[in-house]
Amino acid sequence: LTISVRYVLVFLLAAVGFAGAPALADDPDDAALSLGSAPVKSSQTGRESRLLGEGAIGIGDRRDGTGNDFLRRISIDFNYLGTITPGWRAVLSDRLDVIKPNEFGADTVTNSLREAYLSWQPDGASTVVDVGRVNLRYGPAYGYNPTDFFRDGTLRTVTSLDPLTWRENRLGTVAIHGQRLWSNGSLSLAFSPKLENEASQNGLSLDLGATNNRDRGLLVLSGRLSERLSGQVLVYKESGPQVDFGASATALVSDAVTAYVEGARGHEPDLFSRTIGALEPLTTRNRLAAGLTFTSAGKLSLTGEYQYNGFALGDAEFAALGRNSPELQTAYVQTALQRQELASRRAWMVYVTQKSLGLKNLDLTALGRFNAGDHSWLCWVELRHHWDRFDWRCSCSSKAETMTQLTARFPNGDPPG
Amino acid sequence: MRTPLGLVVALALGHGLVVAAPDAQDVLAASDAIRNPGRSFSVTVTLTEFQAGKQVDTSTLTTYARAQEQGGQFASLIRFVLPARDAGKLMLKNGNDLWFYDPATKASVRLSPQQRLMGQASNGDVVTVNMAKDYRATLLSEEEVQDGERRKRNAYKLGLAAAAPDVTYPTIEIWIDAENNRPLKARFFAESGRLLKTAYYRRFQQQLGTERPTETVIIGRLGPAIGNLVALLGVFGSTGSRDLAHRDYLPRFQPE
Repeated sequence: LTISVRYVLVFLLAAVGFAGAPALADDPDDAALSLGSAPVKSSQTGRESRLLGEGAIGIGDRRDGTGNDFLRRISIDFNYLGTITPGWRAVLSDRLDVIKPNEFGADTVTNSLREAYLSWQPDGASTVVDVGRVNLRYGPAYGYNPTDFFRDGTLRTVTSLDPLTWRENRLGTVAIHGQRLWSNGSLSLAFSPKLENEASQNGLSLDLGATNNRDRGLLVLSGRLSERLSGQVLVYKESGPQVDFGASATALVSDAVTAYVEGARGHEPDLFSRTIGALEPLTTRNRLAAGLTFTSAGKLSLTGEYQYNGFALGDAEFAALGRNSPELQTAYVQTALQRQELASRRAWMVYVTQKSLGLKNLDLTALGRFNAGDHSWLCWVELRHHWDRFDWRCSCSSKAETMTQLTARFPNGDPPG
Repeated sequence: MRTPLGLVVALALGHGLVVAAPDAQDVLAASDAIRNPGRSFSVTVTLTEFQAGKQVDTSTLTTYARAQEQGGQFASLIRFVLPARDAGKLMLKNGNDLWFYDPATKASVRLSPQQRLMGQASNGDVVTVNMAKDYRATLLSEEEVQDGERRKRNAYKLGLAAAAPDVTYPTIEIWIDAENNRPLKARFFAESGRLLKTAYYRRFQQQLGTERPTETVIIGRLGPAIGNLVALLGVFGSTGSRDLAHRDYLPRFQPE
C-alpha cells in the first residue's frame, strides 16, 4: 500500500473582532450582575446572503511514491436566499475553486452551480413548489446514505477530506419538486428530466450532464411517529421498468443517545460492472447504513456507523482485485467516488467531535473508517479555531491506496455551541 | 395566665399564616405569565458570553415560541442570526423531538437533549420554558433575596420537580417576588443534582402588554475549564404564530 499524507491549512478570509472586558468581583454571581450586555442585534430583512473566501496550502504525497506536491487552493463561495414577492423565494448557491495542482487532471478552475431555483409557497408553508436546480438530499446517516437517490455525479471538486465539505459542495439536480406538509408529516414528489447525455470536463460548465443524464422521479413520505421516532419511505424511479424502494428512521434512545437507520433496495448493474462499462446484467440488492450518536456533558459527540453496499465487491473479491489489477481497482474506486457509493461491501466508521478543546473556540473533529475489503483504515483529524468572521483550520489524514475515504460524506455541521 | 394565652394567640396566628400561604403552583403560573406572553411570540436574544470577567463571544438568535394546543408548553424554533458562520441555522424543540437544520448541508439531524443542553440554545430555554405546566411547585420558604438589580426583595422560594419526563432541567429552584410575582432568580439542576446554571431576571420593561424581564443574566457552571458563562438576553420582539410541527418544516422556514 502507498500511504498518502496531507497537511492542509485553511484560512477562511474575513474580519476578526473582540470586545472589552469588565472586571470581576469576588462573588461570582455579584461579578456576573456587574457585567453589561452587548447591543441587541437582529437581521430580519427577508434576505440572506453569504460570501466566503477560502485559501488553503498544504503538502500531499503522490500516490506513486515519487515525492510530494505543494498544494494551493483559493475558493469563493456564495449563497443567496431572498423573498422576491410574498410567497416567492429565490435561491442561488455557487462555488468557484482554483486548485493547483489538481490530481485528477481536470481544469484547475472549476465552478459548481450548486443551486439556482425559485420556490413558491402559495399558502404559507403548507404547500411548496420548487423549480430549477435544487439539492434534494435524503438520509440520516453520517457517512453513507443509501436513500439519497440523487447523489451520484454531484461532486465536481474534492477540496477536502472533510466529508461535511462533500455535502456542502455537491451539485443540485434540475427538477420540479412539490411538497405538501401537515402537522405530523409531508409528502413530496420530484421529477428530474434528462437534459444532457454525459458529464462535462469543462470547469466552467453548468454540468447538467452530471446531474440530469436520465429521467428520474422520487416520491417521499415523511412522518413523525412519536416524539422519539420519525421516519421516511421513498420510491425512486428511473427510465425503465425497475422501481427502487428506500426507508429511513431516526430515534431518541436516551437523553444522550440518538439512533438512525436507512436502507434501500435497488435493481441495477453492480459497481464492478459499471466500472468496466457493462450495464448488464441487472441485479437486485440492498444498501444499508445504521448508527448511534452519543453526546457527553463535556461537549464530546461520538458516532459509530455500520455501512453495507450489496452492489459492491465482496471482501475477498475486493482484496483480490487489488492484488491482481491495481489499476482496475483504482478505476473501480473512482467509479464509487463518482457515484458517492461505498466501494467495499462493508465498512465501519467512527466520527468524533469535541467542542471547546482547551480553548472556548477550538474544536476537534476526527474520523476513523475501516474498510472491510482490504482491512485498511482512513484517519482524518481537524483542529479548527473560529472567531466571528474568521476560521483557521489545520487538518491531516492518512489514506490508503484504495481511496475508500472518498466515498464518505457527512450530513451536517454541529449545532452552534 | 398571660403566658398560656399569649401562646394560644401566637399558635392561632401561626396557623392563620399557614392557611394564608399562597398556593405555590398559582405563584409559579403568575410568574410564568410575566416571563412569557402566554401565546405565540418571538424574542430576539443577544448572548454575551464571558470568561474570567472578559467578554469572549457574542451571538444573536431569535426564538419563535408557539403555545401548543395540548399541555400549554411551547414548541420553539431557534434561528441563529449572528455570528455570520451560524446565520440561518435552525433548531426545533417540540418536547423531546429535537432537530438541527443547517442550510449549507440541507440536512435535518435529530439531536439528543444532551446535545441541546451543551449549546447556546439551552439558554433560550431559560426564557421560553413554561414552568407551571411541566413542574410541580412546592413553597420552600419566604425569604429575602438579592435580585438582578442587586436590591433586596422579599420572595417566595419554590422548589420545582419535573412532572413531565422530557424537560430540560429535572429540578429548579426559583425565587418569585412576593409583592408582584415577578421572577427574580432561578437555579437549574441536572439529574445528578449538580447545579447547571443560575439565572437572574432583570430590567423589567413594558413588553407585549405587561412589564417583563428583558434581560437575564445566566451564570453557567458546566465545568471548571469553562469558567463562568454569562448570557444577557435581549428584548421581546413581535408576536408570531408559526407551524413548528416537525423537521420537514425547517427547510421552508422564512423569518418575518
